[in-house]
Amino acid sequence: MNGALVTFRKELLSYFVSPVSWVIAFVFYAWRGYELSSLSRYFAATNGDPDVFVSATYSRPSTFWMVILVPAILTMRCFAEERRTGSMEMLMTAPVKDSGVVVGKWGAAAAFYALLWLPTALSLHVLEYGPFLGTDLSFGPVFAAYLGMFLLSAMVLSFGCFASSLTDNVLLAALLSILFAFGLITLPQQLPAQLGELGQNYYVRELLDKFDVMRNFSEWFARGLIDTSQVAFYISGIAFFLFLTVVSVASRRVA
Amino acid sequence: MITVTDLTKRFGQTLAVDRLSFQVESGEVVGFLGPNGAGKSTTIRVLAGYHPATRGSASVAGFDVAKQSLQVRQSIGYLPENVPIYPELRVVEYLRYRAALKGVPARDRKVAVMRAMAKAGIEDVRRKLVGHVSRGYRQRVGLADALVSNPKVLILDEPTSGLDPNQRRRIKEVVRELAEEHTILFSSHILAEVQDVASRILVIHRGTLRADGAPDELVRSSVGRRLVVAAACDEAAMRQLLAGLPIEGVELVEGTNGLTRASAGLTEGADPRAEIGERAVAAGIALQELKLDAPSLEEYFQLMTEGADRAAENEALVGDSETAGAA
Repeated sequence: MNGALVTFRKELLSYFVSPVSWVIAFVFYAWRGYELSSLSRYFAATNGDPDVFVSATYSRPSTFWMVILVPAILTMRCFAEERRTGSMEMLMTAPVKDSGVVVGKWGAAAAFYALLWLPTALSLHVLEYGPFLGTDLSFGPVFAAYLGMFLLSAMVLSFGCFASSLTDNVLLAALLSILFAFGLITLPQQLPAQLGELGQNYYVRELLDKFDVMRNFSEWFARGLIDTSQVAFYISGIAFFLFLTVVSVASRRVA
Repeated sequence: MITVTDLTKRFGQTLAVDRLSFQVESGEVVGFLGPNGAGKSTTIRVLAGYHPATRGSASVAGFDVAKQSLQVRQSIGYLPENVPIYPELRVVEYLRYRAALKGVPARDRKVAVMRAMAKAGIEDVRRKLVGHVSRGYRQRVGLADALVSNPKVLILDEPTSGLDPNQRRRIKEVVRELAEEHTILFSSHILAEVQDVASRILVIHRGTLRADGAPDELVRSSVGRRLVVAAACDEAAMRQLLAGLPIEGVELVEGTNGLTRASAGLTEGADPRAEIGERAVAAGIALQELKLDAPSLEEYFQLMTEGADRAAENEALVGDSETAGAA
């Protein structure tokens, strides 16, 4: 526990002092701000439904950038960089459990990621005033949607940690993570058509439906509904990839 | 404090450490000496819990490195050969982080970090980013890291590697100071580094232990010692003087000033100087010089490593020629 907490603090500090983190934040806020102001002006001009506005904000390109690319950038250095520079030896010979190190690193990435999203919730509040929407937004769906987005990204972050533990090449780690996130978002919708008859099989469709994170997100979280089975799916996914990361890190001792 | 028994470590087909056994007692400063690639770092990494042994066992401070790795890591301060430190942290921040990681209680952490910095002599760079300090200072930051939890055992892998002479001297001074409170195992491929600070030396080569003892003791017991005699006599008298003594390969040189010098190899543990003195007095020969010429520790190290390689090569050649002859 101590090892996880100490690692968490150190890693979180590293994110804050890294120029890459600030570039990510700047690009995201500028891009997101532009998207939201354009969208709100459009809704104000067309007297659009404010609830539709909230769900519409999640289908903007910056959201995909945040789910596919940013987790990969945040986690690519987790273990790959430690191995490349040799600091892994210092970490692994400290009196701390491998699981503590893994949880601490993932926790810091997830916390920094959540902090990146936080100001965008405040910006939604600002949009309620003046020349933008000029109406109150329902913040129940906003909270649920942020939770859904965070759980999905936290799972991608846990895979990113795992990918980073497999190699000492940070770019390869990032690429693996991007492929995973891209596959998770697109494959469940694309595969049935590609699989032909097998894609129409009841069990295959059921399985793919469970993994269809975008559909589940728009049907549940974006509407302000929190389904415990969805939450359990993401938490299981996070635990699974963190477990794989611990195994991968521990196996390096054997090498 | 450190016990290594029949330790073997393989990396695929490569045998890095081969049935290595040694002990380090509490309070000892032991130099782990060997040429590059001898297996020093691999052995040290097994002791530090970074690599598991392929066979054999090792324990540190009474804990088995394989079964009680966490307790072993709590008991040691480890300085790897290349000190990799997060460049974005200040020296003091890095040491606070390491102290916390090593379980130093929060209330004691500040004092522990200050004490470690004082011992390693890095207080003047405490506010500098680790990425901005010189290699010598970085090595000492690594040393402070090893000391920060005040461990019983210090394992230092090539602590002076890549440093300039002044930095090397400073590190050696620090190690000497630390010897008063810690058990220290430190490796080097430079004999002078070890000779200056270690009370005992382990010589490792090709993964096996070649010698174990105090530096002087190793040289004294060396088979490379030679007897040197110079006396005012001719060659025949000198031969009489040396006849029947435990020596071999006598070389005589008759000088122009009536002196004859003799040099001969000694059998292990022999010291015939007293007998030569008595014989010279009895024969009325004036001795000008009588001494045992021991090789330097440097020569001894060469003998233990390169000499062993040559002997192995010769054995292999003899074996090959015998096989060819039999065929």
